[in-house]
Amino acid sequence: MATTNTPSYTLRYFGIMGRGETSRLLLEAANVEWTEENPEWPQEKANQPFGTLPVLIEKSVDGSPDFVICESGCIERYLARAYGFLPSDLKKAALQEQVRDQMHDVAAAFFRTIGAVSEEDKKLAQKGFDEIFDKFIAIQTKNVKDNDNTGYLFGNSLSFADIVLYGFFRNMVIGFVQFKADIAEYVKPKLTPEIIKLISTVETNPKFAKYVAKSDNLVAAVNE
Amino acid sequence: MFYKDQALSAIGLGESIRLLLTAANVEWTEEHPEWPQEKPNQPFGRLPVLIEKSADGSPDFVICESGNIERYLARTYGFLPTDLKKAALQEQVRDIMSDVGTAFAGYIRAISEEDKKARFEAFGEILDKYIAIQTKTIQSNGNTGRLFGDNLSYADIVTYSLFKNMGIGFVKFKADILDIVKPKLTPEIIKLISTVETDPKLAKSMLKSDNLSALISA
Repeated sequence: MATTNTPSYTLRYFGIMGRGETSRLLLEAANVEWTEENPEWPQEKANQPFGTLPVLIEKSVDGSPDFVICESGCIERYLARAYGFLPSDLKKAALQEQVRDQMHDVAAAFFRTIGAVSEEDKKLAQKGFDEIFDKFIAIQTKNVKDNDNTGYLFGNSLSFADIVLYGFFRNMVIGFVQFKADIAEYVKPKLTPEIIKLISTVETNPKFAKYVAKSDNLVAAVNE
Repeated sequence: MFYKDQALSAIGLGESIRLLLTAANVEWTEEHPEWPQEKPNQPFGRLPVLIEKSADGSPDFVICESGNIERYLARTYGFLPTDLKKAALQEQVRDIMSDVGTAFAGYIRAISEEDKKARFEAFGEILDKYIAIQTKTIQSNGNTGRLFGDNLSYADIVTYSLFKNMGIGFVKFKADILDIVKPKLTPEIIKLISTVETDPKLAKSMLKSDNLSALISA
């Protein structure tokens, strides 16, 4: 467990996977002390730096002021860099950050299907989501294959991109069920062996044992 | 080493990238692919795409996703600090700025009068909040017209880009956008816009582009 020399964290978010999941996984993988706050909403909106969640609060060990940041991608990249999950090589880091940003586009396309009202809008939104989701899976499948099919996207150990992708499928198979009851039935047939291997590789990493034990098991959900 | 910035011919998502390439003082060109014909030829079916051609004959380095391209260029050419906390505070500016753009896009896409009204209010709210936060940041930085430190930074560039969009780029979506935004601009934001626009590093870009400061004071 973390020593008293490492900072401790509070992650403020809603009690759902959503945009908080990758940060939770990173905090677990970093093996730091952290707690989660689920603020009353919208009552606590005005008390956040930008009126949004998630917010990350890093409490220092030397009594200096808390370091507070918001915006999920910003929080994730900060934690990933601080705890060695993003490489210092700028090109390698960009290839990993790209996975996260692409993932975000796919999630946005999913939410456009949820938000669509007219039949015409729904059709268009679904087509757009199908297209981008398939493309995303194809690209990440190729990344796993090109990386000797080790179940990692890049390199030989758990990276930011792996955690992002795993977190994404946690949402797509489990978390987003609250928005679309049959989403898992849509997603599961599209999972390639390479993606399934990545999911398993990440979930069975000892760093996540505690988290998966008190949370949902994605490998099990995929195999149902 | 030179870059090809394949971007749609609009200020939009490509503006910060263009400014970073200019400020970096590297050789770069821009391609405007036929769209949607060229869509399948892009790494993720979208623009912008950045292609970095190496000096030593190694394969092109190709990345997509606007924020990703910006951060890569900003780090490579020293516009983002190496200190992780300082970098995060700048990246946060960009991500918040992007939320403002998303709110505007939501307003433009709205169809019913009711939806338009709600979205316009939401856009106004988030823009006001953004302006308030950045104004405070500029004040805390000694009111130098910069968000952080003493030199042109990534955060300065993306903030300038947002207001360039608000004042110029988005006019094609809402003709009176500048009239709505101008009264909201604080002296600190106006100073930032002017400080960025007159930075020698960006002189080349500003010559063939629109002058935002002039538009604002018109």
